[in-house]
Amino acid sequence: MRWVRRHIARLHPRTAVVTLAALAVLGVLGAAAVVGLGLYNVSAHRGHLPGVSWMLATTFENSVRLRAGGDPPPADLRSAEMVALGAGHYATACTPCHAAPGQDRSATVREMKPEPPHIVEAVKGWNAAELHWIVREGVKMTGMPGWPSDRADEVWPVVAFLLEVDAMTAEDYRALTAAPAGADELADADGRGGAFCTVCHNSDGVSDNPRIPRLDILSEEYILRSLLAYRSGARDSGIMEQAMSLVDEAEIAGLAAYFARNTPEGDGAALTETAARGRDLAYAADPAADVPACRACHGPWPEPRNALFPSLAGQYAPYLRQQLRLWRDEQRGGGPAAELMRQASRELTDEDIAALAAYYAALAPAKEPSDAQARPGDGADDP
Amino acid sequence: MRAGLACLALVPALAACEGRQSVLDPAGRDAAVMAELFWWMLGGAVILWLLVNGLMVYVSRLNRDALSVRAATLLVVGGGIVFPTVLLAVLLSYGLSEMPRQLAPGTGLSVRVTGELWWWRMEYLPEGAETPVISANELRLPAGSRSELRLGANEVIHSFWVPALGGKTDMIPGRETRMSLEPLEPGEYRGQCAEFCGDSHALMAFGAVVMEPEAFREWLEHEATDAAPPATEAARAGRAVFLAEGCGSCHTVRGTPADGTIGPDLTHLAGRTTLAAGVLPMTADALKRWIADPRAIKPGARMPGFDHLGDARLDLLAAYLEGLE
Repeated sequence: MRWVRRHIARLHPRTAVVTLAALAVLGVLGAAAVVGLGLYNVSAHRGHLPGVSWMLATTFENSVRLRAGGDPPPADLRSAEMVALGAGHYATACTPCHAAPGQDRSATVREMKPEPPHIVEAVKGWNAAELHWIVREGVKMTGMPGWPSDRADEVWPVVAFLLEVDAMTAEDYRALTAAPAGADELADADGRGGAFCTVCHNSDGVSDNPRIPRLDILSEEYILRSLLAYRSGARDSGIMEQAMSLVDEAEIAGLAAYFARNTPEGDGAALTETAARGRDLAYAADPAADVPACRACHGPWPEPRNALFPSLAGQYAPYLRQQLRLWRDEQRGGGPAAELMRQASRELTDEDIAALAAYYAALAPAKEPSDAQARPGDGADDP
Repeated sequence: MRAGLACLALVPALAACEGRQSVLDPAGRDAAVMAELFWWMLGGAVILWLLVNGLMVYVSRLNRDALSVRAATLLVVGGGIVFPTVLLAVLLSYGLSEMPRQLAPGTGLSVRVTGELWWWRMEYLPEGAETPVISANELRLPAGSRSELRLGANEVIHSFWVPALGGKTDMIPGRETRMSLEPLEPGEYRGQCAEFCGDSHALMAFGAVVMEPEAFREWLEHEATDAAPPATEAARAGRAVFLAEGCGSCHTVRGTPADGTIGPDLTHLAGRTTLAAGVLPMTADALKRWIADPRAIKPGARMPGFDHLGDARLDLLAAYLEGLE
């Protein structure tokens, strides 16, 4: 040590500068050689140097724990509907790498570096907020992609599924993700086709999950326009963008015709107090509300409406609430007339949204909503 | 020099000097009082200016000798205290004596005017009427009688002003202010929002039409009727477009299912002298331009653009609206 101190003490300042500069130049040249000449071996067969894997894994865990928790989970996170919706999406988007209860990862996937863990392993040790962050953001340099849309809300169903996956049997999982009978005409020879759509939407377009919209009340034109908007990304949804990326463009028109083919059935429900308030909003019966009359585009309306305006009669209330919130918060796109809805929803309060959803959900399911239920002011069913 | 002269020649063409929206070209009793007051004050100001400058020239050029103490005192007390006090007291009492008239109750018609972003909701209540006749963006008043204006606003403060007819009054959300106007000469005038109210404040105007009492009564009767059914093939097709594309969400056309109240009532749209609150002429071409992209014409307008309808349907829509007289 004394030797070092003595030499440093005797070192001329200029010698020090020149030495450091020379080292820097050598370093840059070395790095350029590694990159430019391909000296680093990227083979996935060769693992990382000792300690590097530990460093990367620890960085990943701490980074997630530092950042998770920005979005509060919905109150019904653990509901069966959330789990079912998440499972449907998981089956199309995540199984290729993480497999599913009762399945193994493919031999090829197991050769990935880093190796994607089987889903039952992957969820261990993470809470809901952390799972949400991982699914939404993805993990750099692992092959785990981020959510393909900006929306945070629709990541929660996947989280709901992941919170249950540990305890799920192969039968449980199959019950959640198998296409129902009757959708054979949607499957095509190469195994693509739209049969998987029926996992969530059922073969008659009427989902039994109120978080998934019923399609039988919609016009073929509207379904087609929506599917194209999902495919192009004009309407933001990681779930539907993923689904629409799995079908061929030529099949989309057929899907729209398939899901619009049925005449909706069912009766309306008596209007609750909330729903009656929603009806007043839909009819713009209270000028002070500052909300345009929904019915002029969405019915009930006595004149022919543009088929590109969706009917909402009998649509599920949770789905309507979610979509109205997206519109109001400027997270919802759509077709060329989307600006109308963005403007119309600007002044909606959470109470307005709940009331409108309750009203339209109480109408008898129909492609063309009827005016049969009392109009505002008739007082027939005002509580 | 020639450019300067050219500019000077353009001065009379400036909007503010145009008779339709000029304080100096009164067409109502209240505006006449104000114009008279203005001319008196202008004359007085000129005389005072000459007097002060004359005195200045007198003491600095013509008579450089010191004034006597008596003359100086007289000048200071007389010209500096007594004269302005008397003059201002006269002006004040004259001004105050004119104020009650501007707040006097009308003798029949009452119009509720509500400032919106950025247009005017007009509701006419003839004497004894219970429900108002709803219109927008144009004020029509009978000549020769005093009409009451009840002013309100939605969301932000505006100010109501028809310079050719009278003074201005603020329109305040959540409270009703009032004034009255007594127009005298039939004709077309122009009103303008006189309180900054946001992006398109400068584009918030309206036509003000003073009519002979009999003509006004007929107009109001017509304004109260439902819209006439479309007369041409194009107008009929345009009506279908209007009802299919959601226009009724915000607009009312009486006699159709369209009963929205967010935007202006369109029942007799084509009977107005201007479109978009005094900004565009009432022509098919302007209607089409406005509907396709209102925000290009009036920044920040709440009405969304309908350019997605395409040229053909916009033409039909314009044909329908043009027929709503």
